[in-house]
Amino acid sequence: MTQSAWISLLQGAWTTIWVSAAAIALGVAIGFLIAILRNARIPVLDRLLTFYVSIVRATPMITLVLFLFVSAPMLPFDVAPWVVAVAAMTINTAAFNAEIWRTALVTFPREQIEAAKACGMTEHGMMRRIMLPQMVITSMPALVNEMSLLIKSSPAIAMVGLVDLTRVTNRITAVTYEPLPPILGAALIYFLMIGALVRLQRFADKYARRLAM
Amino acid sequence: MMNSLSTPAATGRLKTSLSRMAGCLGIVLSLGMPVAAHADRLDDAKARGVLNVVTEDAFPPYEFITDGQPDGFHKDVIEELRKYADFKVTQEQLPWTGLLAAVSSGKYDVAITGAGVTEERLAKFDYVAPISLNVSYYITRKGDDSIKSLKDLSGKTVGVQAGSSVLASLKQLDEKLTAMGGKLGEIVEYQSYPEVYADLANGRIDYAVNSVVNAAAVVRERPDTFALGNEATSGLGFIAWPVAKGNPRMVEYLTDFVNHLRETGKLAELQEKWFGTTFPDLPHESITSVEQFKALTEAK
Repeated sequence: MTQSAWISLLQGAWTTIWVSAAAIALGVAIGFLIAILRNARIPVLDRLLTFYVSIVRATPMITLVLFLFVSAPMLPFDVAPWVVAVAAMTINTAAFNAEIWRTALVTFPREQIEAAKACGMTEHGMMRRIMLPQMVITSMPALVNEMSLLIKSSPAIAMVGLVDLTRVTNRITAVTYEPLPPILGAALIYFLMIGALVRLQRFADKYARRLAM
Repeated sequence: MMNSLSTPAATGRLKTSLSRMAGCLGIVLSLGMPVAAHADRLDDAKARGVLNVVTEDAFPPYEFITDGQPDGFHKDVIEELRKYADFKVTQEQLPWTGLLAAVSSGKYDVAITGAGVTEERLAKFDYVAPISLNVSYYITRKGDDSIKSLKDLSGKTVGVQAGSSVLASLKQLDEKLTAMGGKLGEIVEYQSYPEVYADLANGRIDYAVNSVVNAAAVVRERPDTFALGNEATSGLGFIAWPVAKGNPRMVEYLTDFVNHLRETGKLAELQEKWFGTTFPDLPHESITSVEQFKALTEAK
């Protein structure tokens, strides 16, 4: 593999990383909001959110990306491809994260909530100091699992024209007619990316435990 | 007299089912709503000062990527278009899977890419005057003696790109094989041709079919791995640029551009450079209907 091929792979890897990172950051936060809102059981909103979570979890990433891309011209303003890509990935991961956060919320020990209320803590204070740190620890493995799945489903963004790592291998192969070298190179880079993510998880876990104790 | 609506629970159930029906109706109506009508895309492009072009990124020698930049026959064509047009021309690359959908949904004005003219596509697209021939040829592994002529293809597994005009042309191969007493084998569809060639090389498929220019290119690049079939698998066809139907002035503008390239000799020069041969007998007019396409491909 030539040097320029490796450079193209690394550029594709960068696209994968920044789009996935944006979707992960937004998705984890939005998923948390959805979980809290569903827990509050507001009548119409609850129905809508349940509908959204069910539909999106059942839709493959490529279908979602293509659907948004083809519907985007119907909007009165121009939507850049990267917006479609990040939006599609965020919508997808937020639905899964909502379920993860909801589990942590629902299984949170009632005694602690009651004790906090008995001490006169506000909902906000209780969430910030008691619930969230512990919820982060219990949800961490599932959330990181979902993050790594998101990175591995990111090749769908090639459909809107963003050149991610997998699309680069396709482009290189089109010219060299030898698929194995770029695919192995890409596999190595994906391996390193997910490996870094898991390392971060260990680090974040230690940090969260220190905060929660 | 008691009726089914008299209890509060029953009323609640009725309200729920009514609201569910209203919700479903709303979804169905919004999905069925047509896109608002618009003026010819040429006028929009002139007003904007920009023409939005889309190209595939992995279909050599028409288009491919070198060092992250578009390259190939259509790169040179678009450079010529930039000199010819008095507005800016932007070019984006998409994989083939979503490309035609992006053109018909209005995201791009035209796909300047190696798209084959097919009868199904003529229902939704008009084509600019063709720039190349689209005749399908089969490609085999070098040294594979089991396939020496068209009739040896009977019953063997073939690989093509999904959604391509080549896939559509397999119907004609089926007719030819049936006339010889054989039949078309299993068809395996791939997202793009690099995967087809990889599977041909490793033996997962017995032969691949691609348009003549591309097939000749791969055999030229890898003569030790692939061999070109000695017979066409389809009848005559064309490679031309699709524009969403309803924009006749855009199509005419681009056809004038192609004819301009033809008159200045640039078209033949680019064909020679990228395909290794020129195609002097291509139609000079846009292709906008199935009848016209049939007439053009039968006359030869």
